[in-house]
Amino acid sequence: MTIPLASAISPAADAVREVILEAFGGTIPLRVSGRGHWIDAGRPVPAKKILSLAPHSGVVDYVPGDLTITVRGGTTLREIEQIVGHERQWFPLDPYGSDDGTIGATVATGSFGPLAHGFGRARDLVLGLEFVTGDGRVVRGGGRVVKNVAGFDLVRLITGSWGTIGIVTEVTIRLYSLPPHPLTLALKVPDAPSALAQRIKSLLSAPINPLAVELLDAEVAGLVGLPCRPAILVELGGNEAAVNSQKDVIAALGGASEVFPEVWRRLRVLDDLAAGPATYPHPEPNIVLRISSLPGRVADIWNMVKKVLEPLPSARVHSSVGLGIVRCILPPSSGFETVHTLVESCPGATVVCERMPRELWPLISPSVVADKISQGIKRTFDPQGILNPCILGS
Amino acid sequence: MSNVALAEKLAVIVGDRFVLQRDGDLLVYNSDGLPGYRRKPRLAVFPGSREETVAVVRALADAGAAFVPRGAGTGLSGGALADDVVLLGLHRLKRVMSIDQENLRAVVEPGVVNLVLNKTIAPLGLLYAPDPSSEAACTIGGNLAENAGGPHCLKYGVTLNHILAITALLPNGEIMSLGNPEGEIDGYDLRGAFIGSEGCFGVALDATVRLTKKPVAVRTMLADFTSVDSAAHVTSAIIASGIIPAALEFMDEATIKVVESSVYAAGYPSDAAAVLLIEVDGNEAGVSADRDAIEKICLDGGARAVKVARTEAERGRLWQGRKKAFGAMGRMAPHLVVQDAVIPRTKLAPVLRRIAEIAAANRVTVCNVFHAGDGNLHPNIPYNADDPDESERVHRSMGEIMHACVDAGGSITGEHGVGLDKIGYIDLIFSAESLRAMCRLREVFDPDHRSNPGKVVPIHACQEWRATPAGRKSPASELVAVSAESQGV
Ligand SMILES: Cc1cc2nc3c(=O)[nH]c(=O)nc-3n(C[C@H](O)[C@H](O)[C@H](O)COP(=O)(O)OP(=O)(O)OC[C@H]3O[C@@H](n4cnc5c(N)ncnc54)[C@H](O)[C@@H]3O)c2cc1C
Repeated sequence: MTIPLASAISPAADAVREVILEAFGGTIPLRVSGRGHWIDAGRPVPAKKILSLAPHSGVVDYVPGDLTITVRGGTTLREIEQIVGHERQWFPLDPYGSDDGTIGATVATGSFGPLAHGFGRARDLVLGLEFVTGDGRVVRGGGRVVKNVAGFDLVRLITGSWGTIGIVTEVTIRLYSLPPHPLTLALKVPDAPSALAQRIKSLLSAPINPLAVELLDAEVAGLVGLPCRPAILVELGGNEAAVNSQKDVIAALGGASEVFPEVWRRLRVLDDLAAGPATYPHPEPNIVLRISSLPGRVADIWNMVKKVLEPLPSARVHSSVGLGIVRCILPPSSGFETVHTLVESCPGATVVCERMPRELWPLISPSVVADKISQGIKRTFDPQGILNPCILGS
Repeated sequence: MSNVALAEKLAVIVGDRFVLQRDGDLLVYNSDGLPGYRRKPRLAVFPGSREETVAVVRALADAGAAFVPRGAGTGLSGGALADDVVLLGLHRLKRVMSIDQENLRAVVEPGVVNLVLNKTIAPLGLLYAPDPSSEAACTIGGNLAENAGGPHCLKYGVTLNHILAITALLPNGEIMSLGNPEGEIDGYDLRGAFIGSEGCFGVALDATVRLTKKPVAVRTMLADFTSVDSAAHVTSAIIASGIIPAALEFMDEATIKVVESSVYAAGYPSDAAAVLLIEVDGNEAGVSADRDAIEKICLDGGARAVKVARTEAERGRLWQGRKKAFGAMGRMAPHLVVQDAVIPRTKLAPVLRRIAEIAAANRVTVCNVFHAGDGNLHPNIPYNADDPDESERVHRSMGEIMHACVDAGGSITGEHGVGLDKIGYIDLIFSAESLRAMCRLREVFDPDHRSNPGKVVPIHACQEWRATPAGRKSPASELVAVSAESQGV
């Protein structure tokens, strides 16, 4: 007989609990880390000690026919891709950055990329998880099946909570079969800013079901290997007939051509390519902001952002138009003024800072967990405030 | 505060007509969609607007009175039953507040009936994807609170994936915005925590829902099998093939017979051991290819025939049988046990065999009708609760089936919620520590357990979570064993 899931505590959780109980006893603030890639997000965390999940990697349970996999928190996205790729499956979450990031960190930060258009964000793809609270309790939420409403939803609570209320030690995620017939198209973008809105609208309202739709500025287009002018990338997937007929629909909109799927991988690593002159040997990370609004406002926000960034030729802008997100990658030297102007020029939109130099955080990003309920949750699950203090603002 | 005084206070807010306190008037509110449970509310109040709802909840907070939010009362886990507390009916809050065709959003009040929303947006070529079989009656508020599913959630996702923002009225009367109509969530996903909280975190005053473009083409197929095993294996094979059907539903012989002898007869083959109702959608060329592939998998897997609906009327008829199957079962016997366990999809065949053995050993009739593509079972048992011997056998079967599903790596509920009905089973899948964490989360929203008290997490699991580090002992050793019977299941 297998051990019932209810009482199982993973070895990772056991090890993490040891560290936490020690920190809890002495009130030692911890910086939780996966493989350390996000340590450079620049978020100020006054921590005395790093708690790394890197040693806790590997598959706990994978039955391909169930299209789910359970892995330890320190497993990298690349490892997952390799394991499920053998079965012609994938985990369609493509957060910006490298595949060397861990699933624990991806879930904790609620990261996502262009594929969120077709598959949803981390919060839509995580089925269950195990985490350790700030006072060393090992808790499980959700489960290993694809549909589940048992108990209150701790999975959604932990996903995107940036390791401030629990450390993710095990995750069950939903998988999909690799699309049998993938196809990426690049569409021309009209030169006149006023025509952009119409272009986006006709694409989003067309009878197609793209997996991703991404608008690139000339700078980004050049960096992913396309001609240096703005373009819209569309990723399709499905059976051959379904894809071909969608291709025809898009072709009828004009200015579409097939491009290598490699552009998607290149797009994901742009954050890490130095924007502007890099300072050797420790290049400062770029500043990355995402501006979210309704899809219908994307063209306006895009035009506004491009205007603000005109004096910064090395700035890069791209947009998940169906998600209403415009994402800006700026050289680290851009400074407070540029960032502030950007934020101010998009009233009503939500601006999320993904990466910034340490000194900008307190100026730009107010606490996003200041409300009474979030505060209550933080106190409940991390009573001494030892988990990633201040990472979500103070 | 006395009942009479409280009723008077509430009547000032909503008007006399909308406060009920006589036993006879309260009768319909003594039960919900799940036959077999009865609980009498202390009184019932039905606000007619958002403002009235806020005023009512504030008055209840002042009086320290507990309450149970209720939509249409179609829930199948006893979640909307009020045991000597106030029943807060929300069905009068039924405005579709706005529809944003360009951005595929709508803002609706909680009492909007699921199908009414769909009928409202259908002329725009849009749909609201979560489609519980109770869509003609259940409300968006109830759907949100239960994180409802439905046949088409296999492809489109459940309620959680379609609610972007909520205006929540906390039990203390405070109003709070959860989530973001844009979809961006910076900070804790309080929206996600609130969805599926079964009315225990407060009242949803409105919801911003995501709308979906209606697919251009749809194919609906009925595959019929002479063995349950083959139908189960075919289900697993379709899922494993990588095709994502819009829906993949399973009905066994007992269910087919019940449906076919009812007014909802759908033309299912009465001599089949099982049928699969399979739908694919997308563009015309794509669905034709999927249909061919699925037909082949079915025939290779032992299907006798695969019938494709040729007209919208034929499609409607095939679906009607499935959607009304629960109702048809209700006519077989005075009571019905409704199960909702979920299992990994590769385990369908062995678990269905185990369920058949359990039914035979306990001499009960199990009618299987369920969302096979998700592994979400509904092994339902019609029975007569007034017969103590039969009741005993039915409840024993229910417990054994639940254990079989959990042993297979599953969950106790996929869409109906824990409510009262499954509270005795929740510690089969969660440790005491996990249940306490859920309880503490609830207490952040509702410190006094005044909103839908006694549901979802058993009281014994809510013992104090001290602000001291958890011990090093395995929490399993603290597990308090509670049998289903002792919870009155
Ligand atoms: C024949 C039949 C078929 C069904 N098929 C399905 C199916 O396919 N999929 C599925 O998921 N369910 C199904 N159900 C179950 C049920 O219809 C759903 O759970 C539905 O979401 C309940 O909606 P309701 O308005 O009736 O809620 P109610 O039964 O009134 O309430 C359900 C829960 O929600 C809470 N609640 C209600 N409104 C609010 C609000 N505004 N704010 C906070 N809490 C609130 C209540 O307190 C209660 O806990 C079926 C039921 C029947 C009778």
